Amino acid sequence: MLTRYVIRRIAVGFVQLFFLIVVVFFLIRLLPADPVSRFVGLNPSVEAYALAERNLGLDRPVMVQLGHYLGLLPSEGKGLLQGHLGTSWVTGSLVATEISRALPVTLELLTLAFFSALLISVPVGMIAALRPGGWADKGVFVYSLFAGSQPEFWWALLFVHLFFFTLGVAPAPLGILSPLTTAPPVVTGFVTVDSLLAGRPEVFLEALHHFMLPVATMVFILSGPIIKMVRQNMVRALSSDFVLYARCAGLSRRRVALYALRAAMAPSITIIGILYGFMLGGAVLIESVFSLGGLGQYAIRSILAFDYPAIQGVILVITAISLLVYLALDLIHAFIDPRVTF
Amino acid sequence: MTTFKQIAQVSLIAIVSATAAQAQDLLFLAEDVPAGLNYDGPAAAIPTSQTGMVNVMEPLFDYATNPVNETGLITPDFNTFEGRLVESWSFDEATLTWTLNLRQGVKGCDGATFNADDVLYTFARGKSVSGAAPIGWFLSNVGSIANFTADVFGDESARPLGDEVTKIDEFTVAIRQSEPNALFLPVLTIFGLYMFDKELMDANSTADDPWAHDYTNNVNVPSFGPYCVESWTKDNEFILSANEDYYRGAPAIKRVVMKKVPQSSNRLVILRSGQAQLVQALTPREYDSLKGADGISVGGVLGNENLFVHMNFDVEPFDNPLIRKAVALSIPTQLIIDIAYFGEATAWKGHVPSSYPGYSESATQYDYDPDGARALLAEAGFPGGDGLDAYAEAFQLTYVSEKETTLGPIVNAISTAMREIGFPVTLNPIPQTQYGDRQLVKRDLPFAVNDQEKPIGVDAGYATQLFFVSPESGGLNNMVNYRNVILDEIWAKARVEPDNAKRDAMLVEIQDILMDDVVWAPIVEYTSQWAYSDNLKGMQWHPDNSIRFFDLSFE
Amino acid sequence: MANPPTDKVKKRVDWLFWFGVAIVATVSFLAVFGAAIAPYDPTLATVRVSVPPPALSEWPGLIWQNLTGQLEQPPHWFGTDAIGFDLFSRVISAPRIDLTIALAANGLSLVLGIFLGLLAGYFRNFMTETLMRVSDVLQSFPVFISAMILVSLAGRSTENIVIALAMLYTPIYIRLTRAEVMSQRVRGYVEAARALGNPELVVALRHVLPNSLAPALIQSSVTIGFAILLTAGLSFVGAGVRPPAPEWGLMISSGANQIVLGEWWPSVFPGIAISLTVFGFAVLGNALERRYDS
Repeated sequence: MLTRYVIRRIAVGFVQLFFLIVVVFFLIRLLPADPVSRFVGLNPSVEAYALAERNLGLDRPVMVQLGHYLGLLPSEGKGLLQGHLGTSWVTGSLVATEISRALPVTLELLTLAFFSALLISVPVGMIAALRPGGWADKGVFVYSLFAGSQPEFWWALLFVHLFFFTLGVAPAPLGILSPLTTAPPVVTGFVTVDSLLAGRPEVFLEALHHFMLPVATMVFILSGPIIKMVRQNMVRALSSDFVLYARCAGLSRRRVALYALRAAMAPSITIIGILYGFMLGGAVLIESVFSLGGLGQYAIRSILAFDYPAIQGVILVITAISLLVYLALDLIHAFIDPRVTF
Repeated sequence: MTTFKQIAQVSLIAIVSATAAQAQDLLFLAEDVPAGLNYDGPAAAIPTSQTGMVNVMEPLFDYATNPVNETGLITPDFNTFEGRLVESWSFDEATLTWTLNLRQGVKGCDGATFNADDVLYTFARGKSVSGAAPIGWFLSNVGSIANFTADVFGDESARPLGDEVTKIDEFTVAIRQSEPNALFLPVLTIFGLYMFDKELMDANSTADDPWAHDYTNNVNVPSFGPYCVESWTKDNEFILSANEDYYRGAPAIKRVVMKKVPQSSNRLVILRSGQAQLVQALTPREYDSLKGADGISVGGVLGNENLFVHMNFDVEPFDNPLIRKAVALSIPTQLIIDIAYFGEATAWKGHVPSSYPGYSESATQYDYDPDGARALLAEAGFPGGDGLDAYAEAFQLTYVSEKETTLGPIVNAISTAMREIGFPVTLNPIPQTQYGDRQLVKRDLPFAVNDQEKPIGVDAGYATQLFFVSPESGGLNNMVNYRNVILDEIWAKARVEPDNAKRDAMLVEIQDILMDDVVWAPIVEYTSQWAYSDNLKGMQWHPDNSIRFFDLSFE
Repeated sequence: MANPPTDKVKKRVDWLFWFGVAIVATVSFLAVFGAAIAPYDPTLATVRVSVPPPALSEWPGLIWQNLTGQLEQPPHWFGTDAIGFDLFSRVISAPRIDLTIALAANGLSLVLGIFLGLLAGYFRNFMTETLMRVSDVLQSFPVFISAMILVSLAGRSTENIVIALAMLYTPIYIRLTRAEVMSQRVRGYVEAARALGNPELVVALRHVLPNSLAPALIQSSVTIGFAILLTAGLSFVGAGVRPPAPEWGLMISSGANQIVLGEWWPSVFPGIAISLTVFGFAVLGNALERRYDS
């Protein structure tokens, strides 16, 4: 039963991905700008225009372009099936290369942010749930609602102004490392990990220092929904039958709290997973303010420049990751609670 | 809190002085780093990519220099050419052939050596129009180098290099023009005809890509310039190290780190903190705030950057000369100079940058005169703006949305002033790509504000050919669809007029016509500015607005 | 066994609930009357550029002077920005755009989502399953980037932003309604309605639907808040509302560059406005949720 569910889920996932790719392909071609013009630049004669069109492959019928993109027409060139995401029209580099440079930055930001947020939010949510109605609970509740409804780009600007400009404790919003520092050789793409692997702890610390403000901004925003949800689930768990039994059986308060926490974590994991997928596209604004050079910034640049291959590549990558995350969550859920497989 | 700040500052100084203990590197912050080093590639039109190209590559000719201006900037002398990769040259009027004696002993990065083969290779590559953009071909065509015609696009057999560029011996080349065109030397100073090193380009080409477009788009460009590419991460940083064998002497600054910092306010703050020594593309406001700041200089020059209003002749009511004049009179020039440029601009009195040879100031001018504008509007049949609402779509003032910070005050000032007179102006910001498409290809923008036209050939005639000759007669960037047969005829003669005095007189005529017909409504010429540390010397302006790091040194 | 905190929870809800109501009421009032009571036209530039707001100590004096007609021009309570717009006028005129977009987008996605959710939850067949899978895909689209693309596609106008947001929020409502419908359709009254001979569609529309609306309606409050944030974010990167329309995100974006020059007011006031507004909607939504749960 379980394996059948898994197989079905994965198959559906592939269909979704395919559907997504095709839809995005056509959607983008509806963009109201002619990408050929930027190449023709100084000399838009009819012949030059036609030549540029041919170079970009835009003179072929749409279905042929789609086939080429998918990799079904090896005679036209490499496509998705061969792992080729196309060439950016702005830089001329492979989209896959550019994304592989930008994606780890975003993932690094999100991972650091999520760990920090969890580190702070879970205990806070727990404590609030243990003393419901108290001042701590009230304050935490209001805070969680407030933080979850904030414009992150505005807070990022405020943080820069306060911590860098006024107080001078944070570094300039220049990127992950100071421009005078040479980056460690790329192994995973995560600067923090790579610097440790290269045996350069000072670079590791510098990277963390630069991540301080963007992560703080994200933690501020993320802590809202996470605290709210942990607290809610904890309260629910604490009022359930097995906790009642544990209390009656005379177990210590701390032991009971831990049991409740374990029960509260399961539904929380689902939400966290969804948040992760959500933030993948949502870190865009924070990346812009701090010039981190992540996927979000790349997406903005590509969309405003009508760089078709880059836009397709970005959406494909982000949505694929999100689908993967949901798939993983569904599978975990099925594992924990097999009733779901029906 | 103060202790934190002090600690931060002290450590900052420590880092900076540690680097200063060796010869100082230059940290240069820009809005982008090169997206390509191929002037026939997709990144050719991007200014920051051009900066990469001009520092690594070398031209045949360039301009001599004038002494320092009042802000400490050196400017070019457009009337005097200097040979760079060319040591001496001569021109035979009868055969329209230029004989170029090439400099010997020129070495580039990675063992590149310069000789006549490299010159032939460069022109052959341009003529092959094999890249995404045909800049090399275009400039050769503008300079009337024989056989660089539009035929090459349709006819593959017309592409190989013929006898228009011939190798006489290892260090002598002959180039033939098809007509006596004074733009030959000017185009050779432009980034789009800098020289490649044939051997290294061939070594990095493939069967599919014989002209090494992929290599120059993504890795490096072999040439003979003062710097070599040390490392390049697109969208992030571009690091150059000095070419010690550079024929004009080893550069004073041994290493340049060009870093991408998208927000101008971030660039400003980092310059102020002392971490960076040179920044560009700040807003006029930000430059203004830096004047008088400790340890920082702001240098500027009235170069070729200007601002004008564009009204499309093919869209009503802009085909009506009275409306065009009324609009020109409605523009609050002084207000724009004050609130948008903070004084760093002057009223533009022509259609061509005033620093260009051949510029002339016409008698007809359109100073801000709201009453005059109202009178003309009434004369045109729209007293107080009545009836103009039918043209509301035409009065959408279009501009590039990415430039909201700098153009915002300008378009709002124009919009407010014009609405007071009765024009139904609304704002229409669109992305750069879309703007370029509508301006260059579709030519259907009715009404727009433009601050990015800098004619790349330093010559009033070149500007005329580019912008004001009718599209049918070759006006390649005639965005307003201006069609004047008389002007086309005058230019056709001026283009091939060998006598400079006669040519200049014809250009005066042309510029008078342009002002009379309000082909553009010129607003201001604004100062091109850079901000840098006090101890950075040698800043020089070049017409492509890119900094040459070879000019610079630390005191 | 009853939860001791219930009484205290009720008190807390009331205080917070009224706070949320106050904010939503103020913003709605401004949405309707904001542009009318603004001292300056929010889209016309004045020549007084980058004027700082008057110090708080001066306010009483200025208010008195303004009321007694001693001032030539109304004071710039929040200062002016680099273009010369009066910030106070723009901040109070912005709700019209932000709230209109948010309400329209939410309304559209609500109607669509409830209807489709009802179908998917009540009639569980191949078509509705496909609908859910499609909805899944739509939901896994990165929200912000998709909105950017959709708006770039059709052009930067309020209608297009509404449509883009509606497309992105519909899957949420489908999911919520479907879940509720699935839990409702096994209830007794549905069985009874069927037994009376009602056709399935009537049972669905007349009996199940009204009882399944609650989760979606409660979610609305939060969604409206998020729609405002999303609109502001889009305008911040240049893919939302067009200048010079007064919109909080646009204001923050155009003021962002001036913060380093020491001019904080063009970005801070609109930021506070969004911050409080979305918070108010979130609080209201949460209070409604508690009322429904208890």
